[in-house]
Amino acid sequence: MPDDDLIVEMRGLVKEFTGTKALGGVNVGFRRGEVHGLLGENGAGKSTLIKILTGVYSPTSGQILLDGRVVRIHSPLEARRLGLGAVYQDAELVASFTIGQNILLGNEPGRFGLSDRAIHDEAARIVVEMGIALDVRQPAAGLSAAQMQLVTLATLFHRRYKLIVLDEPTARLSASESDVLFRLIQRFKAQGITIVYISHRLKEVQEICDRATILRGGLVSATLDRGEITEERVTELMVDRSRSDLETYNLGHARPETLLEIESLRTALLEPLTLSVRAGEVVGITGPVGGGMEQVARALGGIVRHGGRVRLRGRELDLSNPVAARRAGIALVPEDRRKQALFPALSVADNICLPVLRSLQRLAMVRPGTKRAFADAVMERLAVRPRGPDTQVRFLSGGNQQKVVIGKWMSAKASAYVFVEPTSGVDIGAIKEIYDIILHLARDGAAVIVVSSSIREILSLSDRVLVIHDGALVSEAAKQSWTYDELLAVTMQGRHRRAA
Amino acid sequence: MANAAATSAPGPAARLRAERKTDSPLLRLLRRWGTIIVILATAVGFAFASPYFATLSNGNNILFSMIVSALVSMGLTWVVMAGSFDLSVGLTVTTTSIVVGFLIPMVGPWAAIVLALLASCVIGLVNGLLVTYGRLSGIVVTLGVMFVLDGINVFATGGYQVAVSYGEKAFLYIGQGKLGFLGVPVLVMLAFFALAHLLATRTRVGHYVSAVGDNPMAAFYSGIDVYRWVIVSFVLSALLSGVAGVILTSISSSAQPVGGQGYLLEAFAAVFLGATVLGRGKPHILGTLVGVFFLYLVNSGMNMVGFPFAARQLFAGLVLIIAVGANAALNREEIHLKFI
Repeated sequence: MPDDDLIVEMRGLVKEFTGTKALGGVNVGFRRGEVHGLLGENGAGKSTLIKILTGVYSPTSGQILLDGRVVRIHSPLEARRLGLGAVYQDAELVASFTIGQNILLGNEPGRFGLSDRAIHDEAARIVVEMGIALDVRQPAAGLSAAQMQLVTLATLFHRRYKLIVLDEPTARLSASESDVLFRLIQRFKAQGITIVYISHRLKEVQEICDRATILRGGLVSATLDRGEITEERVTELMVDRSRSDLETYNLGHARPETLLEIESLRTALLEPLTLSVRAGEVVGITGPVGGGMEQVARALGGIVRHGGRVRLRGRELDLSNPVAARRAGIALVPEDRRKQALFPALSVADNICLPVLRSLQRLAMVRPGTKRAFADAVMERLAVRPRGPDTQVRFLSGGNQQKVVIGKWMSAKASAYVFVEPTSGVDIGAIKEIYDIILHLARDGAAVIVVSSSIREILSLSDRVLVIHDGALVSEAAKQSWTYDELLAVTMQGRHRRAA
Repeated sequence: MANAAATSAPGPAARLRAERKTDSPLLRLLRRWGTIIVILATAVGFAFASPYFATLSNGNNILFSMIVSALVSMGLTWVVMAGSFDLSVGLTVTTTSIVVGFLIPMVGPWAAIVLALLASCVIGLVNGLLVTYGRLSGIVVTLGVMFVLDGINVFATGGYQVAVSYGEKAFLYIGQGKLGFLGVPVLVMLAFFALAHLLATRTRVGHYVSAVGDNPMAAFYSGIDVYRWVIVSFVLSALLSGVAGVILTSISSSAQPVGGQGYLLEAFAAVFLGATVLGRGKPHILGTLVGVFFLYLVNSGMNMVGFPFAARQLFAGLVLIIAVGANAALNREEIHLKFI
């Protein structure tokens, strides 16, 4: 389709990360002043594409054209200078600055001297124009996630961007705050600014986007015009039929006895959730990223303040902090392994043995040999390769790192496992192995909860599937009653469905 | 605890804000004025204990004795604001002092001052470049630079002082002259304080340096040249230490090859004590000046009352820990996992 008024065009964009192809030759163009939706499953290449566009990554090959001219974008700073801006999902603010100072950070009025008054007057004007109620002199430190997101959106106002990428901007916003966002988008559009809108929520895309591009397995599967963006079309285009179905399938290891009982568990972002998991059962929780599913895991791991009761084998647990949760026998395998579960500079053996050092020690000393032997046994069981207990964890691949995290908890003999996005960043070859390990844990009688935005993963692993949308449970049913497309649709729409 | 907390409240963030607003006025008063109150109380105590304490001439003495320390501390404040450490400030004083001492006979006092200050800026630039583009930690870099400077100083002087001739009236006026009641170096110090304070509070420089120090990632994504401001902070730190070195040479009519390290520890104490002034929780120039003033006020007061030097150190150390500790307790973070 020949397009004359493209502000940004990407031609044959390829991005390889050691071994795996994240983008396999993407061709896509964004028209001046349009709102362009970007849809795709996790791992389809959306965020890679955006990071290339905003200078965080550089492409392996391919071109980016801005106003018809080829440009090379090496850093976020350079992208900004070219007029390409982005609001990322996990936007950050300078905590010790006021809201106003944050809104104008990097674009303060005046030449050399700074006037506190001028900054806050200008910021107040922006806030009023956006129609949000925030005191610009309030420090940013105490803001809620949604307010922080609004402040980040406000920073877009005074920067003369040609194109703005919004990455899941409503993930942290309530309905009324989302309206602010949509008004803002209309405003930008009227000024001729192009918006690239990434979202898992199909309804939003249908409402505000002029066109939408659907990515699948690192390739563009289609670009649809407004009228064509229907649930059926999008689902069909998103699902990667070519990828052979994973062989792993949970045939069911659930035993009759209930192991984990969760009663009206709630957090600031999660409405009360009641759920019980039997020994050997795998419960899959899915939904849009940031829609509340992660909260279940964070609450069970003792990381986030929560209300409600959790019982294990009928005994009520104290999950007020991560140490208590670990003692209670709940193992949280978080999504961000490097930051939250591993010690990258320590050896594999040190990582695996960390929770059990007490039982390995004799006379308050741990012999390196004991540690290595223990780690070696765990590594053999989990097929960590290469099997060097002395290797520093940071040199392992994503899949092997994940195995080490699991191994760490296996040695701690947890009774309930909570996995968050267990195969994100894991090479394809290792995915099946991780699945096998998870199912093995279930077969041994553990209660397992898998929180994942990958529907394929949820259907491979679970006995029962829950969908959480906007902080509320919208659907719960046995796996057998779901088809892939159905589940994807519910995830995107947040439509209610509660089967027996 | 978490269970009970969440049952009644909508969310952690909202709760936190609610707490802030419902804090008792006393708590808010303590957070803002606590350090100042302690300082005033100490001063009043000394005034009762010694009739010579609360006199103008003693005030003048305190100001005069704190000149070098105040300049070094104000410099260090910039680096701590930017989120790093500078352990080389003390040796930068010594080095600049020696450079100016050597150069006066060769190029005359004014050119010597300019060149010495340039030399100090070079030290800052090297620190800054290594910390940013060199990707080294501030502690390691400035520790290394500290040793290197120490070696150069002793090597260049052979361990002997570099005397400034009594004929250099103009140069010696900087450190020993008087303008009415106040000493010229005191005025120089106050002038540099005013400049640094304005730079920190009223210009882009201070704004960006503190943004970078607080959240470099946010600053980066806001299109701020993070490296540039970190380098600027190191150069400012070294420059202010350089000014201190020049004044020190003028005050003592000579450059001493050793003894600079003492300023470093004082400066750190002053910066962290200063961060609690007015309840900011972050270092700021005014707070640092107040911090230095307090340390020297205690020195002078205890000296008059007849405490031994050891007691002075002990007192200063305790006040530092208590002030910073109390401040941290008043501004409680939810999770504390920073141990630097």
